[in-house]
Amino acid sequence: MSEQGETGEAITILLVEDDAPTCWRLQDALVKAGYEVRSAGTLAEARSALAEAAPRVLLTDLRLPDGHGVELIREIRQRFPDTEIMVISALGDEESVISAITVGATGYLLKDAFPTDIATTVRDLVAGHSPISASIARFIVRRTQGAAQGSAEPSPGPALNTAKLTPREIDILWGIAKGFSYAEIASHLGLSRQTVPGHIKNIYRKLEVHTRSEAVFEAVQQGLIKL
Amino acid sequence: MSEIAAKAPTRPRRRLIVSRLVPYLLLQVLIVIATILGLRLLQPSDPDDFAVSGFSLREDGATRPVTLPHFTSSRYSLGDPPLYTGAFTFRRDQAASGWSVFLPRFSNAVEVAVNGVVVLDSRRDANANRPDRNTPQIAMIPASLLRDGSNEIMVRLFVWGPLKGFLDTVYVGPDAALRPAFETRTLLFVTLPVVFSAWQSILAVILAIMWLMRRREPVYGVLAVAMVLGVVQAFVPPPVPPAPTSRLAAVLLASAPTESALIVMFGVLFFGWRWPRYGTLLFAPGLIVFVVGLIAGPPLPRILFLVLGIPTVGISLFLMACVTATAVVRRQDAASFTIGCAVTIVLTCWVHDMLSVFEIVTNERIFVSRLSYSAMLVAIGAGLTWRFARALNQVDSFAGQLVARVREAEERLKASFAREEERARAAALANERTRLMRDLHDGLGGQLVSIVALSERGHEGATITDAARAALKDLRLVIDSMDDIGGDLMLALGSWRERATAQLRPHDIALDWRVATPQGLPLHPELRPWHVIQIVRILDEAVTNAVKHAQARNVAVTIETLDGGQGPYGVISVTDDGRGFVPSGNGASQTARGLRNMRSRAARCGAVLDLSSDASGTRVRLQLPQVFPDSDAAGG
Repeated sequence: MSEQGETGEAITILLVEDDAPTCWRLQDALVKAGYEVRSAGTLAEARSALAEAAPRVLLTDLRLPDGHGVELIREIRQRFPDTEIMVISALGDEESVISAITVGATGYLLKDAFPTDIATTVRDLVAGHSPISASIARFIVRRTQGAAQGSAEPSPGPALNTAKLTPREIDILWGIAKGFSYAEIASHLGLSRQTVPGHIKNIYRKLEVHTRSEAVFEAVQQGLIKL
Repeated sequence: MSEIAAKAPTRPRRRLIVSRLVPYLLLQVLIVIATILGLRLLQPSDPDDFAVSGFSLREDGATRPVTLPHFTSSRYSLGDPPLYTGAFTFRRDQAASGWSVFLPRFSNAVEVAVNGVVVLDSRRDANANRPDRNTPQIAMIPASLLRDGSNEIMVRLFVWGPLKGFLDTVYVGPDAALRPAFETRTLLFVTLPVVFSAWQSILAVILAIMWLMRRREPVYGVLAVAMVLGVVQAFVPPPVPPAPTSRLAAVLLASAPTESALIVMFGVLFFGWRWPRYGTLLFAPGLIVFVVGLIAGPPLPRILFLVLGIPTVGISLFLMACVTATAVVRRQDAASFTIGCAVTIVLTCWVHDMLSVFEIVTNERIFVSRLSYSAMLVAIGAGLTWRFARALNQVDSFAGQLVARVREAEERLKASFAREEERARAAALANERTRLMRDLHDGLGGQLVSIVALSERGHEGATITDAARAALKDLRLVIDSMDDIGGDLMLALGSWRERATAQLRPHDIALDWRVATPQGLPLHPELRPWHVIQIVRILDEAVTNAVKHAQARNVAVTIETLDGGQGPYGVISVTDDGRGFVPSGNGASQTARGLRNMRSRAARCGAVLDLSSDASGTRVRLQLPQVFPDSDAAGG
């Protein structure tokens, strides 16, 4: 049972994780699900792996012996825009995950997730479904509230620009944060069940800060910088 | 021993007084000498070339030769005034310009006739007749009146008592020669007093305003009243007898003693002492003169003025000198020295005038006390204004200091506030740390210990995995509860749903999530992280029981808001379709311990836990409080 992309060849995954047992565990689960997995323990190894070919999916830990995973995510985002990126996290805390999202990651994978869940998550990701956890959704909507109240103090935690989110997208995030399923959210908001993942994908893209100039542009838009 | 001790302080004190008073008194002696010299030097010089001093006086029917200056007896009748008749020589060929007759000083009024024609009558000029002013008079002699050779001059001297009449040397000569002397005297004895009086009136207004704005400093008011009196006295011309307005005259007569008493009062107040009640006696002479003037006609008020008023002025000046001397001894400051010297000058002038009046020394009857007094008042007024301005400056600098001090205090306050805030933050942090420690100890610690224990006993696989997973789950719960959820418990339940679903999925148990009311649970602004932890742990326990012990296939979580009439409250129910258990509650089994834990956690949050279990399943109903308790009710 080999997982295959649209073109038929096997789906390649680059797994960057410095803790060997965790790495084995994830690799086992993914290989068993039929993915072609290359693993790297450091940023340098990951970069040399990238020199060969672009992976379809990147799963990376953030704290690596020779640097931060965010650097790797940013690089891959620029070089291979089609690669789906996910963070591997022990706790799924917002602090690390949100900073990864702003450079182009889509959600996170818990290190202790059950093998079936790991495979399912990656499959959904490749299928274009971007998973978003309740705690991440909560963090984002709390941040939109803070921005709406115009609080002078910068909110704690990583920088996040929520200005581009539409009210509908914020409603969807609220639903996820409160634990509603996609179906429940869709029925509450009068949407089709199938459109919800697309909205979530949009949310991820809107939270991403692509370049330095864009960051400046958005800061101006938000009134953070006065020209 | 004690006597010495008692006497000891008085001796240096006396020595101090002497050491301060003697130089002061010596200074005053110098000032007296200087004043006398000044009066002598400043005596205006008259053109002696044109003096006419040989006169024959016809008085009371008798005629005798006299030499001017001459005093006549005092009289109270204007009829038959003393008539001085003299002669002067006029050479028409010498006379380039017109001739004048110049009278430097007379008392009280004169009528001058040349060759039988009246050329001057001072009675028409009320100010000229005031005995306290030394007004000179000059009159042109029409050229047609003058005869080549000897001419006759007649001076009628009108006197109203009680003072003696006085006629100074008469000068007749070319106007050009006489006028400078006249101008000098006019400047000294007419213009200068007017200038001083005008000055006084301005100061009176300023001081009155000061007093009006600062009622608790009567010193300004007293001085203002004294000045107003002086101004009135100077500018209101006294009626010339036999004019009938004697009341006005009486008021004007009363002004001098009243003024002098006011000045003493000013002195006492100025140096910061209390005005003694018996001091009011000083005003009695002025009052008596005033009342008598109102009741009786002249000349009684004038006699009274001479008897009562003039000595009162002297006494007042003397008292003032004493007051200033005391002030000098006590304060040794510029103000007391200055005022003391001024008082000495005025006192000297007063003595000089008295000597003139009583003809103890030869004199030309020039009265200088009024002039010196006016000068003193002006000096005092100017000094007071200066002091006021200086006080304003001090207020300004004080305000500046105050601003600086307030800023300093503000800084200190800010610093201490920051310190306080820092302390409060530290305390809050310590609290939070304690709570976190307890939460970690309650969950994670125990689970890690059990992992260690399991590993040591050689257990493998599932049990250790479960324990480790439980530890991770608890760690996530603790971290999750740290997040600010703004009082919305639904946000915490959202994450919990994910974790519970993940936990149930390997067991093929479906989690049925039902939110019965659209908004879920009511908002609780008072919700704290530790409330969230307790509630989520209760729910975890319920789900774990369903998985481990009840072998349920379905777990349903129902969230709803109820309103029993006393406001809305939330209810969370966890129902499973397992085989149930007997809720004995006092067993030692793991289930029983879990149940006890759930109840105590619910109690700490002020929630009510209902548990029912039978063969068809178990139902845990957690009824949330309307308001979560602020402190941990059941303690750690």
